[in-house]
Amino acid sequence: MSWLSDLLGPLKGFLVPLRQIRKGPVTRKYPQVKRVKPQRFHGRHTLNRYPNGMEKCIGCELCAGVCPANCIYVRGKDNPPDNPVSPGERWGFVYEINMLRCIFCAMCVEACPTQAITMTHLFEMSVTNRDDAIYTRTELLVDRDGTPNYPPHEDSPLTNLEELRKGDGWMRATSPSGRREYEGIVAWTPSARTGELPAERGQSSGTPQVSEDADG
Amino acid sequence: MRSMPPSKEGRQPLSDTKNAPEMVNITINGIQHEAVAGERVIIAAEKAGEYIPRFCHHPKLDPVGKCRQCLVEVEGPRGKQLLPSCAIYVTDGMVIDTQSDVVKKAQKGVLEYLLINHPLDCPVCDKAGECPLQDQTMTHGPGESRFVEAKRKFKKPIPVSDLVLLDRERCILCDRCVRVADQIAGDPLITFNERGNQTQILTFPNEPFASYFSGNTVQVCPVGALTSTDYRFRARPWDLEITPTVSLRDTVHSNAEINTSRGRVIRVYGATNDHVNDGWLSDKDRFSFGAINSDERVTTPLRKTGTGFEEITWADAIDTVSARLGAMIGTEVGSIGGANNTNEEAYALSKFMRTVIGSPHVDAQLGDGFEPQLAAAVIPRAKIDDIDAATTILVWGPDLKERLPVLYLRVRKAVRNGANLVVVAPTRTGLDAIATHVIRYRAGSGQDVIRKLANADKSMTAILETLAEGPVVTLFGRTSIAEDPRLAESVAAYGRTLDGAKLMPLLQRANVFGALDMGLAPNLLPGRISTTDTDASSHIEETWGPLPDALGRDTAAMLSGAVSGDIRALILVGADPVRDFPDPQAAEKALEEAEFVVAIDAFVTDSSRHADIILPAALWSEVEGTVTNLEGRVQVVGAALPPKGQARSVIGMLNDIATSMGAELTSFDVSVVSKEIATVAPAYQGITRDGIVFTSSGAGIVVPSQEAEIIVEMAPRYASMAPDAVPTEASGSAVIVPAQGTQPLGYIPTDQAVPMVTDRYTLHYAPAMYDDGVITRHAPSIADLVRDPTVGLNPRDASILAVANGSIVVVDGSVELPVRIDEAVPEGSVVLPFNHAATKGLQAVPAVTVEPIRDES
Repeated sequence: MSWLSDLLGPLKGFLVPLRQIRKGPVTRKYPQVKRVKPQRFHGRHTLNRYPNGMEKCIGCELCAGVCPANCIYVRGKDNPPDNPVSPGERWGFVYEINMLRCIFCAMCVEACPTQAITMTHLFEMSVTNRDDAIYTRTELLVDRDGTPNYPPHEDSPLTNLEELRKGDGWMRATSPSGRREYEGIVAWTPSARTGELPAERGQSSGTPQVSEDADG
Repeated sequence: MRSMPPSKEGRQPLSDTKNAPEMVNITINGIQHEAVAGERVIIAAEKAGEYIPRFCHHPKLDPVGKCRQCLVEVEGPRGKQLLPSCAIYVTDGMVIDTQSDVVKKAQKGVLEYLLINHPLDCPVCDKAGECPLQDQTMTHGPGESRFVEAKRKFKKPIPVSDLVLLDRERCILCDRCVRVADQIAGDPLITFNERGNQTQILTFPNEPFASYFSGNTVQVCPVGALTSTDYRFRARPWDLEITPTVSLRDTVHSNAEINTSRGRVIRVYGATNDHVNDGWLSDKDRFSFGAINSDERVTTPLRKTGTGFEEITWADAIDTVSARLGAMIGTEVGSIGGANNTNEEAYALSKFMRTVIGSPHVDAQLGDGFEPQLAAAVIPRAKIDDIDAATTILVWGPDLKERLPVLYLRVRKAVRNGANLVVVAPTRTGLDAIATHVIRYRAGSGQDVIRKLANADKSMTAILETLAEGPVVTLFGRTSIAEDPRLAESVAAYGRTLDGAKLMPLLQRANVFGALDMGLAPNLLPGRISTTDTDASSHIEETWGPLPDALGRDTAAMLSGAVSGDIRALILVGADPVRDFPDPQAAEKALEEAEFVVAIDAFVTDSSRHADIILPAALWSEVEGTVTNLEGRVQVVGAALPPKGQARSVIGMLNDIATSMGAELTSFDVSVVSKEIATVAPAYQGITRDGIVFTSSGAGIVVPSQEAEIIVEMAPRYASMAPDAVPTEASGSAVIVPAQGTQPLGYIPTDQAVPMVTDRYTLHYAPAMYDDGVITRHAPSIADLVRDPTVGLNPRDASILAVANGSIVVVDGSVELPVRIDEAVPEGSVVLPFNHAATKGLQAVPAVTVEPIRDES
């Protein structure tokens, strides 16, 4: 029967496209249509604030120290006593991330002792100039209400602010802010907002928190 | 306040003992080891490979057993006991357990206890990353704290001095800083305060921690309780690149590490070389690096214009210099300075002047030192280690605490270990407090003291008894710039007559001993050869070509020659004669009169602003090479950074000038220049930079040395490789053959019979540690520490002049300063700070006039 399989073989191949036609196209009309990113999506970083507007970053350089791509440059300074930028003695007066070098591994997020740096769903970072790929404090710091700043794309149609507010998150294996009640609990801490948000205890209880509309 | 115990007995020997140590057998964790009898258990265990955690233990400090971290079990008559291993000493048959459950529990408990009040602000703490508390919490700690209550709070940080900040919350009360300040530096200015939970380190009220050695407390602090103002929050330890080097702020050449981050020097840490500095640095060594980063540095070649300076290219500068110098007869050119450069740079300068220019007029000293042959080749020369071995130390020279601070620490250590100390100086010095005898003499009458000592004058009986206890090491130098330089030689000649005499010359400027050894003196050739030694100089001529015949001029003669027209061009190499030469007006006039002045300098100074061309020079931390300290120890300085802007090493620029003049000087490669020195200079035979880096165990080599002959030469390409990459014979290395028949000079000092100064007021004119020197002035952290200038007067003189403390007097008709009445000033002497902005322009003459200002109204 080898002659029959020789005949049917090529025909079988046509079944694959036929089946796919029924399912519709996989590609999206990006940027008109955007895929919803999974909650743990590693987009570009933000530097967060406390509700009173103080910066969370204390310029400790742990993110720079842990960065495997060596793309973060931080320098600390004494906080001005009359008008402190961050709580405590020290603030990061230089904070730069070279997004061309960044591999979005989020080790910086994990290393940060104050949850100052987190990752958002923002990923559109095309630049026409290498210098613009170095994000400084100006680009990274969130506004007083927790909205990420994103020059040089201030009015970019690419950003879905709604999605940004809905939240993304980062998982922490230790007690997030040194609080005893979170000791040893693996939990979610949403990012790109002001304030210390309570951990959502989804991870350790075995029911991971996934956005309803997360794409497969 | 704790004072230094003068007792010679009852003190446990420090880690190094003079005689062959007695060995005992001890058992650590069931394994037999040999240990030095009387050694601390913690040190013996460390040598045996058992690390015991510790905070308060420091090998250079007396044990206190304060932190209790080093608890170990030692078998005793009543069974095993927990004992602090830093405070007990090994005895024969001792059985020690450092790993038992009891020990582990104790160590964990202590760490948990120490962390109760420790703020755990590691992310913002400067110590984090190199913190013993962090490290040992990881290795020996419990990992979890049961302490949930509020931690103790203090105001933080509080400045305890201009250089040091104190964070009492982080302090674990280990007593290290207190002991460094008290036992090592002799400035017991910080101590424990309050009791129990509130115990804290503090300074005394209204008494800042103004020690010249305060930076060492920052370095020994095992937590981040003491931090330095200029390192605070600048970088994290893992950012730092470390370059081993030696400090060139004085001639002791304390070993140090330059810590750089992102192309800037961030801090300087002390490194341990027990033959030199024991790991300690003075604050000047430690905090003067700010000058390297200074914005006022000259970074491009400059040419003088009518109104100021214009920037020019290197090519332009080299052409101008070579054309102007080439148009002159060799002996019309003189070079002043070179003491701030490496041996290789000094050698290049010496060779450049003597062969390319053809001038014998070179001098690395600016009239503030003494006879170059005495400084370079006095015999028998003392090593710094000889101070430890001496029974009696005679110090007659600059105030060690102010000028050679780390040598002061070494003398202090020797005195603590039982040595006698005789200090001779015109006024109070830092060593007086620990001296067995202090002789004060009216400035200008030093020869009289020598005569009295030599003739066993009745007034000197007690002192002579002390000086009879040999071996005696004599540290001699010029006590003040107004003093006759020949007196130092008389002192050396006297010191040589003492029992078991060894002599140590005290010059103060950076690498001046290296510069003299490289022939930067009118009567010296490289390798401690006298210009009159024809045999030796003919050996140098084999490599160099003919040497100039004329007699060399020293700085004073060059400057007067510039005025009279005999010297037409002057090359200033990191020299500022207008500030450092005893007669500033003469220096200024000479620089104005000279037809052509080239300054190789990093800053526009009072001298270099008279230059026609300024060539930007690389500073310490930017050049590599070797340097020689006051005992003749050759050590390596490292380049941590590229030179700022277009600055270059002196070797490079002199090579270019020589090429432009149609001559060949030497290599651009420091290793090759170093090799040339090793073949040309008799005292440096076989000693190369690469050799010291790879084969001398980091301690450097004292020249002239026998062991140097075994050092192999390495091709430059191997120089950057690891030690095991040292090429074998087969891969092209060769053992350097020392030149035959040339011996370095041995200079025997003779009594100079210096005449007494008999004027009414004689001048004692010596600089303090923080002076108006170029580097200090440009280093932000120490520039403000310069003390307010005063005129020191004896109470009797003050009453004759009818002045009180604070009254303004005029010294020598030019300097107006407030009076400080001081018992320590001998009658008829006037004490003024040299190299101070307020005394700028005052001539350093032996005798001065003092006039009180009378209120006109």
